[in-house]
Amino acid sequence: MSALTGPDVLSAAERSAVEALVFPLADDEFVIAERYTEWQVRAPTLESDLALANVAQDEFGHARLWYDVVADLGYDEPELLFEREPDEFYHASLCALPFDAGDWADAVVRSYLYDTAEALRLGSLAGSAYAPIANRIERITTEEEYHREHATTWIERLCVDAEGRQTVQNAVDRLYPYALALFEPGTPEQTDAIESLNLRTESLPSLREQWIETTSTFFESIDVSVPVVEPLPEDPGRHDSHVEAWLSLYEEFTRTYRELDRAHTPTITSEHNDG
Amino acid sequence: MELHECKTRAGPREFGPHDDLPREYREAATRMIQFHANSEIMGAYLERPFIRQSPSLDRKLAFSAKVQDEIGHGQLLYRAAESLGIKTREEMLDELANGEGKFLNCFHYPMTEWWETPMIAFFVDGAAMRRQATIKRTSWEPYAHAMDKICFEEGFHIKHGEHIMRELATGSRREQQLLQDAFEEWWPRILQFFGPTDDESTHHDFAAEVGLKTMSNDELRQAFLNAYLPKATEYGLEIPDEPRIREEDGRYVVEEDDLNWEEFWAVANNEYAGSHEQIGSRARAHDAVAWVRGTIAGESA
Repeated sequence: MSALTGPDVLSAAERSAVEALVFPLADDEFVIAERYTEWQVRAPTLESDLALANVAQDEFGHARLWYDVVADLGYDEPELLFEREPDEFYHASLCALPFDAGDWADAVVRSYLYDTAEALRLGSLAGSAYAPIANRIERITTEEEYHREHATTWIERLCVDAEGRQTVQNAVDRLYPYALALFEPGTPEQTDAIESLNLRTESLPSLREQWIETTSTFFESIDVSVPVVEPLPEDPGRHDSHVEAWLSLYEEFTRTYRELDRAHTPTITSEHNDG
Repeated sequence: MELHECKTRAGPREFGPHDDLPREYREAATRMIQFHANSEIMGAYLERPFIRQSPSLDRKLAFSAKVQDEIGHGQLLYRAAESLGIKTREEMLDELANGEGKFLNCFHYPMTEWWETPMIAFFVDGAAMRRQATIKRTSWEPYAHAMDKICFEEGFHIKHGEHIMRELATGSRREQQLLQDAFEEWWPRILQFFGPTDDESTHHDFAAEVGLKTMSNDELRQAFLNAYLPKATEYGLEIPDEPRIREEDGRYVVEEDDLNWEEFWAVANNEYAGSHEQIGSRARAHDAVAWVRGTIAGESA
């Protein structure tokens, strides 16, 4: 049962806890969707092109659902996306990592790792004390299940021969450490606030244990080994350092907005009215 | 079926895979549909950077969906072409990547700025819609059938292009100027969309005789201008002085000599600088994932 029914009932502290929880969720979905769209018109077959475009659009849709939660706290879309500084984004680096041209194993392994984490994370939010969070879980969960099925099928298809399995192994070796960083908590104060308010009903370390268990079991079943990760990458994302490629992605996605000078819309409108 | 019988029977949606059609027909239909399918892929190629560069989340989703639709149209059209028994989809996609496949003139030019996007998403798609609507009555039924779905989706694309154009046309003076500049650059190419004048079109006569084409290039250009010249004016765009367009008895007549046909033919033969650029990008993307197609090829065996 959600005790916090909506934005109006939140204290300043509760509000900042909601933001600390939701920004990373929204940014993860947005940034990974950006990377998926790079496969549009470049996927191995027309069918896989259509499928990955669907996944990308679903993730953009989820990003919007999460951004709407913070928008209700008084932000507009330009503030949430186009006017935020690149170091004020809180996605995990797994979402922003670039990939080599044609590395389809990266796309499907990244999707598998991300969507498995996503399923666990959504499970820990279904009972959130903040109603606008809890209300969104069902819709997102259904779509993420389809993504995971799609990714799993493709990973198994690539593993039909040794060469294909090696591409999967390479992707796992490269992406797994960054995927673990999906479960990196924010500051201790934020974590305390999120957990004491019951915004999330399970701790991130506990979710990480379950994720390691699930992903290891799956990869072992197809003879792909899971790397031992110690320590985490230096650029895990979130509140710490972002991978360098994030900056060029950011430059590209804000380019038109900046060139159209949309940040100064009111001036533009009055200029237009004069003319 | 003999060729004369094929010409006698030719009519809307008259022929399908169950008909034993003369090779001339199947080759002409393959050429036409392959060109159309290739154009869907190459158009998507040109628009894909704007998924990322869209200035709002709504536009981003619309661009991603549009690019996805174009790939879906390519898929449907290659299937309609494949059913003629001349070439497989793989062969056609390979031809596109190696520079043998032909596609629409407008998709040989680079598009780098947001304010250029309505030139394709509104004008070129609008022109394509004119042509595609007539193909609903083509004689190869699978092609006509594909067009039912394609035309339905293209309607949304044109609305999307028109929204972007309206936003720019009613924006700041700078936005209006950028839109006008883009229009002036793209306008001659758009006028050449329908190809050469009828008496220079090499494939038209046969395609018309067997019912593959139901309207001539001139008629299509006419229908396009009737609808889109007023639209351009409505959005405050000034029609460039050249190429000259006269109004004669309620018809628009384009002064053909004002258009650069040398460039058009270079484009048509994939020999323009932009052709190398676009086809090269396509080839690199196609080759980069060849290994995946190789890996999964064993599955169906």
